[in-house]
Parts: sequence; structure tokens; C-alpha cells
Amino acid sequence: MDAANFPWLTTIILFPIVAALAIPLIPTKEEGKKNKTIHWYALTIGLIDFALIIYTFCTQYDIHEPGLQLVEQYAWAPQIGLNWSVGADGLSMPLILLTGFITTLAMLAAWPVSMKPKLFYFLLLTMYGAQIAVFAVQDMLLFFLVWELELLPVYLLLSIWGGKKRFYAATKFILYTAGSSLFILVAGLAMAFYGDVITFDFRELAAKDYTLNFQLLAYAGFLIAYGVKLPVIPFHTWLPDAHGEATAPVHMLLAGILLKMGGYALLRMNCGMLPGAHAQFAPILIILGIVNIVYAALTSFAQRNLKRKIAYSSISHMGFVLIGLGSFTDLGTSGVMLQMVSHGLIGASLFFLVGATYDRTHTLMLDEMGGVGQRMRKMFAMWTACALASLALPGMSGFVAELMVFVGFATSDAYSLTFRIVGVCLAGIGVVLTPIYLLSMLREIFYGPENEELTSHEALIDAEPRELYIVTCLLVPIISIGLYPKVLTQVYESTTSQLTASMRHAVPGLTQTKVAKASLYDELQPVLSQAPLKAPQLGS
Amino acid sequence: MEILYDYAWLIPVLPLFGAMLVGIGLLSFNDATNKLRQVNAIVILTLMGAAATLSFALLWSQIQGHETYLRTFEWAAAGDFHLYMGYTVDHLTTLMLAVVTSVAMLVMIYTDGYMSHDKGYVRFYAYLSLFSASMLGLVLSPNLVQIYVFWELVGMCSYLLIGFWYDRKGAADACQKAFVTNRVGDFGLLLGMLGLYWATGTFEFALMGERLETLISSGALSAGLATTFAILVFMGPMAKSAQFPLHVWLPDAMEGPTPISALIHAATMVAAGVFLVARMFPVFEQLPAVMNFIAWVGAITAFIGATIALTQNDIKKGLAYSTMSQLGYMVLAMGVGAYTAGLFHLMTHAYFKAMLFLGSGSVIHGMEEVVGHDAVLAQDMRLMGNLRKYMPATSLTFLVGTLAISGIPPFAGFWSKDEILGATFQANPVLWLIGYATAGMTAFYMFRMYFMTFEGDFRGTDTTIKGQLKAEAAGVFAFGPGAMQKQELAATADHGGHDDHHHASEPHESPITMTLPLMLLAIPAALIGLIGTPFANKFEAFIFPPNEVIEAAHEVDLMEFLVNGGSSVGIGLIGITLASLMYRTKTIDPAAIAKRFEPLYWFSRNKWYLDDINNLLFVQGSRRLARQVLEVDSKVVDGVVNLTGFVTLVTGEGLKYFENGRAQFYALIVFGAVLGLVVVFGVT
Repeated sequence: MDAANFPWLTTIILFPIVAALAIPLIPTKEEGKKNKTIHWYALTIGLIDFALIIYTFCTQYDIHEPGLQLVEQYAWAPQIGLNWSVGADGLSMPLILLTGFITTLAMLAAWPVSMKPKLFYFLLLTMYGAQIAVFAVQDMLLFFLVWELELLPVYLLLSIWGGKKRFYAATKFILYTAGSSLFILVAGLAMAFYGDVITFDFRELAAKDYTLNFQLLAYAGFLIAYGVKLPVIPFHTWLPDAHGEATAPVHMLLAGILLKMGGYALLRMNCGMLPGAHAQFAPILIILGIVNIVYAALTSFAQRNLKRKIAYSSISHMGFVLIGLGSFTDLGTSGVMLQMVSHGLIGASLFFLVGATYDRTHTLMLDEMGGVGQRMRKMFAMWTACALASLALPGMSGFVAELMVFVGFATSDAYSLTFRIVGVCLAGIGVVLTPIYLLSMLREIFYGPENEELTSHEALIDAEPRELYIVTCLLVPIISIGLYPKVLTQVYESTTSQLTASMRHAVPGLTQTKVAKASLYDELQPVLSQAPLKAPQLGS
Repeated sequence: MEILYDYAWLIPVLPLFGAMLVGIGLLSFNDATNKLRQVNAIVILTLMGAAATLSFALLWSQIQGHETYLRTFEWAAAGDFHLYMGYTVDHLTTLMLAVVTSVAMLVMIYTDGYMSHDKGYVRFYAYLSLFSASMLGLVLSPNLVQIYVFWELVGMCSYLLIGFWYDRKGAADACQKAFVTNRVGDFGLLLGMLGLYWATGTFEFALMGERLETLISSGALSAGLATTFAILVFMGPMAKSAQFPLHVWLPDAMEGPTPISALIHAATMVAAGVFLVARMFPVFEQLPAVMNFIAWVGAITAFIGATIALTQNDIKKGLAYSTMSQLGYMVLAMGVGAYTAGLFHLMTHAYFKAMLFLGSGSVIHGMEEVVGHDAVLAQDMRLMGNLRKYMPATSLTFLVGTLAISGIPPFAGFWSKDEILGATFQANPVLWLIGYATAGMTAFYMFRMYFMTFEGDFRGTDTTIKGQLKAEAAGVFAFGPGAMQKQELAATADHGGHDDHHHASEPHESPITMTLPLMLLAIPAALIGLIGTPFANKFEAFIFPPNEVIEAAHEVDLMEFLVNGGSSVGIGLIGITLASLMYRTKTIDPAAIAKRFEPLYWFSRNKWYLDDINNLLFVQGSRRLARQVLEVDSKVVDGVVNLTGFVTLVTGEGLKYFENGRAQFYALIVFGAVLGLVVVFGVT
């Protein structure tokens, strides 16, 4: 079989799942803390799969092609019209790469897990495949299935390995997400049965000509479903609880990948398939985005629990995704993708550090910490780097993403000037609030005289090489993208610009991207060039 | 020559490389790297030296008349949006490069002596190098976005360096305050930048100004909106250059080690605001309202800074307020259109203020031998006195700096300050009066500082004053964003009590690595003003506003110069005499005057109560708001969710009895809903 026809994506999805099924067969001598057979096995699988993703991306994927690539389609259950249909375009590929990267690192982050390692890694590997599947499938019914498939491991990982309130958190998580996924099913089925042809294929669904009212209803359904996942305020309350109880590796996946599914699906379905409704809903998305940024930043500032603080900061950062979605500009849409990848990396690193810090302090309450910077200098350095990345320091990826969203929205011709000015000003408040809560957090953990209450009974050993390695791995792409964003933007640009064009097409009165004028000056250029530029100089 | 320009990007990259090398060493081989100590310093100094050589070569080439060099590459693109990054070399850039690299080099040499016993010696060098890289990147930036990038990076370095001694509560609060206050300014800068981009479609300074002019003159853009954007942009410089009301972070920033107070918070980073105003000059100069605003902010800042500096007893705080006041002068100059004068003052101030700060560091270093490593005691001038006897090199260079800042000819400060005052007088006599009064106060507080520190009797062993200072320090709270924690109170109380044993009874002169930079800086502090005398203004021939043809050297009106210069020297001398009477000969008792004008005295001593107002309004206000939002979030939003959960549970229990299977029931609902949707919309 030649390389072009090899089922790359299917292999990438199924390999970790099949490998997970083999875990019970692995003989383990004794259930001891020292026994790391399972850990090594899972890490190897993760690495192989990540290597496969990289190889596929480098050899089989053409970044200049805006459409779907690596397409595979097999009938699975023809009776109900279910097809195994996968493919990747500019929206999927960066997120698939991110998933492989973060999940593999999460395997390494889970090294200290000693309770039921077989089940833990079984679930982690299953999630690996299911997460990639969410980004790769191109069939509505299949999408719903893998969406649900990826929820179950999270539920179990939360309820078995979580903190004290884990059952409450896990139940809340499953009720929220499973409840909201009903909306996907309803809206998806409705779209599939609409019109003459019954189809579940994404591309055919996108090509259907829906009436506006239908679009609006389906859009609202999707928005609720993906709004829970992203999360959009007020559907966010599962997230602080789930994050508050999860262990570090699960955290990394929750913040790094699961939240991105919401953004991805919003791009793919709401913007891509229902552009008519999107044109109506976009101002609401902008407003929701602003609320997300400011509201979550404020709650994060008031939080005294470290995990919940970072959890709220994730919500705040996802607000930029919403604003970018509603901007109707190339730059805004591009910023959405960049923000998702960037937050995936930054969120994962911050949550990993939270876990590592908890292993040492055994408390998450900021009031009980303080002055630990003396003992844990490397941890301090890593925390500082990641916090600065999260507050969008230039030179790191978060800044580029936020700047693109800001410029995209500010120059968007779909909104009135007043709306844009007010919107940018309000969203800009987040720029001030973010450093306040992140730097307060750093100050309360690390700065100040040593907290003897804490140091007297906790051995605050500094970061070990494994932890240093994980954070460095995450920081390298964060800084590379920050220094030269084209590294990432060129991967998806052809697809996002096509998507933006179709979104703009649906808004009456908007010109196409190619001839659109971003600035007031460009708009007036034709007029101005005819008129004399300056008053004729008077001879002295 | 061209090859020099092709490799100009090395100027920021070399120090960056040094910082990365040492930083990686610290992270991966901490002990070994720390043991190497001076090897690290030498590596970083060598790289900095190479950058400095390159910078001076470029300055020379620009003086020879080489045209402006620009090199860019596409950094980000989406659709028809293209953002370029790169570097530009012109007159202004090379001037800044020369100032930054020379001061940075000397500060790095000084650091070896000042930080020799600190366990963070190597880390400090890494930060210094990182800062230099960011600052050099900033001055090389060809457009507003790149300036914003480096603008934030120097802010980050400032944050790291202020919080360098992170076990001190004061440093922890100060670094956060600095970053957050600067972010408030950057918020404005970002919004203004976006607004100007929306209007003009470019981030390049000259093009932006040109297009803005066209837009306003054609009426497409109202002048009011353009003014708003420009003032928003100016918020950035207001925070970075410590202009009222965003100046509050600068005095607190003195919690950092003294070398960085000299480099970052006196000579380079705080001047970046003035640099940005200079870069944005093509935009600002078309908007008279903005220029007025800038001038007034500058004048008010100069005045406030000077009035607060009058009563400060902490030597570094005093210098910090003086820096704020001098920055006010620069901004004032920019506002009245005296582009050259403002940048001239930037340069002279960089040298003499860096020297003054390093001198104060040398004094503190000497005092620490007597009073121990306690910032409250070592920096307080009430404990100093007669240090001239013990520290001759320091006192002599400090005197040169004091004369320079007081505007006594022929020292550097005279020429630049006089040029500013002269230009201001022509623009607006009221502003001139403020600047003129400030000049008098400057001479007074600087000589007060000099006399308290270097003249009189040595008071360092006086235990009564020590006790009084300690009591004062324990009573006064830092109103940083973090003045809320309980354990911190206890921490301040027992601070300083640990090393009261066997100190020297008198201070000693600092080592040569510290005095050498002082002496080297004294040369420009004394003489560099001579390149900008009104008789042969070489500086103006080199630095002049963009888009402006240099006028033929106009005749100097000797009379006018004498009147202007004479009056400013006059008020300076009045200030010096007053300081001398009060603090040297003790003919006038300062305490009696303080008593006479008690409210005014405390108003100045408490920094116009601005910190307290900020604390009450913004710090506590935002805390309260945040807590309320969290309350709403957990009680209302989450409450509804939990209530729903509870109701579902109850109804579920109820339904259980008359539904035979849930799965079917759910399937039925789903199916019904889908059917309903399809029917409704299929038919219509």
C-alpha cells in the first residue's frame, strides 16, 4: 500500500485505543510504587502516535490546500447512515498536533500516579484516540459518538483519582456536558434530515441551503452545546469544580484540549455550516466574549484556591476566541486558532505547575502559602515564565493571539464604530486585570519572607528534571510562536481565510475579503487620491 | 559601512544571547554556574561591550551623514493584513543606542562591586543582560507594534529586577505595583494603537502622521477622535516615564537593587516614554490639543515630583522623585514642541542621574557596614552625614551630579534644562513659571540631599535616631496591592533585629569597581552639555524633528541667552543657598519651617496622599468588586445549576414510578424534537 492511500488518520486514532485494550494483558510483578512498566508502555505508545502525527503532517499534509485532506470514508453501519469518515484541514490539523503533544506530555506528567496505574493509563490512552477523533471526524453522527466517547474517560478519571469533592465535580461535569451534547444530537439530526437528502457528512451539510429560522435554531442549539465546553458564561460552573478536583495530567488535558473542542466545533459548525445564523449571532458572541474576559478575570482575582484561580483564568482567555469568531476578519479568525493552540500550551503548563506545587505544599489555599520561592527556585522560575506567558507578554504566543483578535475586531467592517470602540475598551480591561490576578498569585505563593508554618512540616524540594523537562517542552513552542507567529499561522491560514470569506459572504453589505479595506485611510484612498492632498504651498 | 548596518541586529541579540546562556546555566547547572560567579559577569560584559562598540560605530556613521537604514521581514499575516518587524537605524536610534549601551556597561561593572556578596549575583547579571537586550530592541524598532512588544519586555525585566530580593515584602509589592501600573498605561497604548491603525492602516510612524494629516484635513476623521487616539497612545509613556497620575510605581521601584535603579529607573527604561513621544512626533504634532495635554502633564509631573522630593529622607526615594520631576521636564519639552531640547535633556539626565543613583548605591554600601543590611536604616539620610570624609570619590562625583541637575553652568544639566525653559517660555509663560519654580526646588532638594549625606557630623551610630526610624517604619504601611495579608505585619516587626552585632563604626569608600564607573560617568555629566550650547549646537544639527528641514544656524541672541540662563542660574543659586543655610550651617532650622507649614509638610511627605487615594479607590475597589463577582458566581450562577440538579433529582425520583425505561423516554424526546423541527421548517 503506498503512502498516499494509507489510512493515516484512522491509524492515529485507533492505535492508542487498541494499545489501551492491550493494557490488561501486560504482566505486572507486584503493585508497588517502583513499578513503572505501565508508565513506560503508555509513554511509548504516546510517543509513537505523536511521531505518526508529525510524520503525517510533514509528508502527507499540504498546508497550502484549504480543503479537506487525508480523507477516508468507509461505511460503518449503512442501515442508519453511519460512516467512518475522517479528514483534516487547517482547523483540524493544528489541534491534532496539539492533542498529540499535550497528551504525550500528560503521560509523562502522570509519572507519580501509583493508584490503579493500569486503569489510569487505559483511560488516558483511550482519551488520546477519542480526542484526535473529535478533531478529525467529518460525519455528524460519528462526531456525536466520539464526543461522548471522550467524556467517559474524563468522568472516570475525575471520579476515581480526583480530590475530596470528586464525585460532585464528576457528576456535575458529566451532567453538564452530556446534557449539552443532546443539543448537538438534536441540531445535528435536524440538519441531517433537512431537505431532500438525508446525509451526515459535514461537507454536504454545509452545502445545504437552510432557511434562516432553521439556521438560527440549530445555531442556538450548537452554541449551548459548545458553549458549555468552551465554556461560555453562564454555562461555565462545571469547569472550576472539575478543574478543582482533577489531578495534574487530567488537568492538562481538560485545559489543554477539551476546552478547544468547543472552539473548534464553533468554528466548524456554527461558522462553517450556518453562516447565515452566524451573521445574526456574531454580536452576541462578541458580547459574551467580553463578559467572559472581564467576569472570569474578576472571579479569578477573588479566588483563594489556586486551581480554581487558574481555572477561571482559562475561562477568561477563552473570551478572546468568542470575540475572534464574531469579528468577520481574516485576522480575527486566525487569532481564534492561534489563541486556542496558545492557550492549550499555556493552560497545560500552568495546570501542570499547579499539580507539581500541590505535591510539595499539600495545600491549594493561597492564604496558607507564601515565601516558598526560597526553597523552590526552579519552580519559581517556571511559574514566572508561564504566568507571564498567560498574561500575554510579547514574545510569547498569547500576546500574538490577543493582538490578532484585537486588531481583527477593531478593524472589522461588520460593526459600527461605536460598538467596536466600546467593545475593544471593555475587552481591554482584561489586559489590565490579567496581570493583577496572575502576579498577585505569584506574589502570594513565592514572594515574601518564608512561611514557617508551611516549611516546618512540608519538604519543599525543588523541581526535578522531569518537571523541568515538561515545562520546557511546553515553553519552546510558546516562545517560538511568540517570536515568529507564522510558524503556526501558515499551517491553517488557507483554511481560515476561506472560512472567513464564507462568513463574510453571509453578511449583507460586506465586501469580499480580497477587496475589503481594513482601514479608514484605505477606504478613502480612491476619493482622496483625486482630491489634492495638501493645500498648494504659497510662495514666500 | 553597509556591513555595519547589515549586522546591526546583533546589538540586542548579543546581550540576549548572554542572558540566555547564563539563564540556561542557572536552570540546568545551578550550583556550577553560581560558583563561576565572575566568569558569567565577564561573558555578559564582553557581549555588552561588543554591542556597545557596534552602537558607537553606528553613531559615528550616522554623524558622518549616512542615510536612515531600514530592514524588515514579514512577521504575521492574515488576509490583506501584513505586519512587519525589523530594525531601523537613524539619528535618534543611534543616540539612544549610545546612551543605553554606555550606561549599561558602566552599571554592569559597578554591579560586580555592589552585588559581590549577594547570593543572586549571577542571576542579577542575567536579568541585567536581558533588560539591555529588550531596551536596545526597543530603540531599534521601526514601528509601533514592535515598540509595544519591547515596551512590555522592558516592563517585564523591570518587574523581575524590582522583585529581585523576593523575600522582602516591600519588593514583592513594589514589583507587582510597577507591572500593573504600567499595564494600565499599556492598555491605553494598545487601544490608541488599534485606533490609529483603524484610521491609517499602518503602524509606521512617519506614514501614520502623513495619513492622519490627510484624513483630518479632508474631514474623514474628526480631530476629536484623532486626539482621543493620540492621548490613549500617550498613556503608555505616562506610565513608563512616571508621569502624573501614573507615576506611583517609580518611587516604590526603589526596592530593587541600586544598580537597576540607576540603569532602568533613571537612565534608560523610564526615558523610553520620552523616546516613544519622539517617535510619535509626526502624529502628535498635528494635534494641538494633544501637544497641550502632553505639555501640561509634563509640567505638573515636574512640579509634583519636586515638591515631594523636598521632604524625603530616604536617599533613593528622593532621587526617584527627582527622576520623576526631570522626566516631567522632558515630556514638557516634547509638549511645547521642543523636540531637540527634550531629547538633549534625556541624554544629559541619563548620565548625571545614573551617576547620582550609583553614588547613592555607594553611600548605601558604605552605610551598610555601619548599620547593617537594613534598607530602612542604610538608606535614610538622617543617619548619614560627613561621608565626604570617608568616601571622597563618591562625594566628589555626587557633587558633580548635584551641580549638573541643579543647572549650574557649565555642567550638563544647565544647557539642556535652559533650552527647555527657553522654549517653554515662548510657548506658554504659565508652563514656564511652573518649570522655573521646579528648577529652584530641584536645586534646593538636591543640595539638601548632598549636605545631609556628605556634610555635617556622622550620625550613623546614633541609636536614638535608629530607634525612631524603626518605629516609623513599623508604623507606616506599604499601600501596595498586597497590603492585606496578616502574617506580613509580624514579618515587618521582627525584621532587622537579626544582625545588630559588630558593625564598623565608620563607613568606608567603595571598591574600585564601584568608584570607577562613578568617575567615568562624571565626565559626561560635567561636559556633555557642551555639545548643545546655543552658540554651536551640534546636538541640534544631529537630532531634529522628523519631516523638518534644519534651518540655517540662526544667530544667537546673546542678550536673550543671558537673561534666560541668568534667571535659571539665579533661582538655582537661591535654592542652593537656602539648602546650605538649612542643612549645612544650620542657620535656619528645617524643623521649625516644617512646623510652621505643617499641613503642607505632611502633604509633601505623604506624597500628596496619592498612594492612599489609589489604594482606597482602585486596589480596595477592585478587590471588593472581584469578591462580589465571585459571590454572584458561586451563589447565583452556580446556585441555579445546583437547584436545577436538585429539582431534576426529585422529579426523576417521581418519574421513576411511572416510566418503565429511561432510555426509551429520552430517545422519544429526542426523536420528537427532531421531528418537530424538521416538520416546522421543512414545510415553511
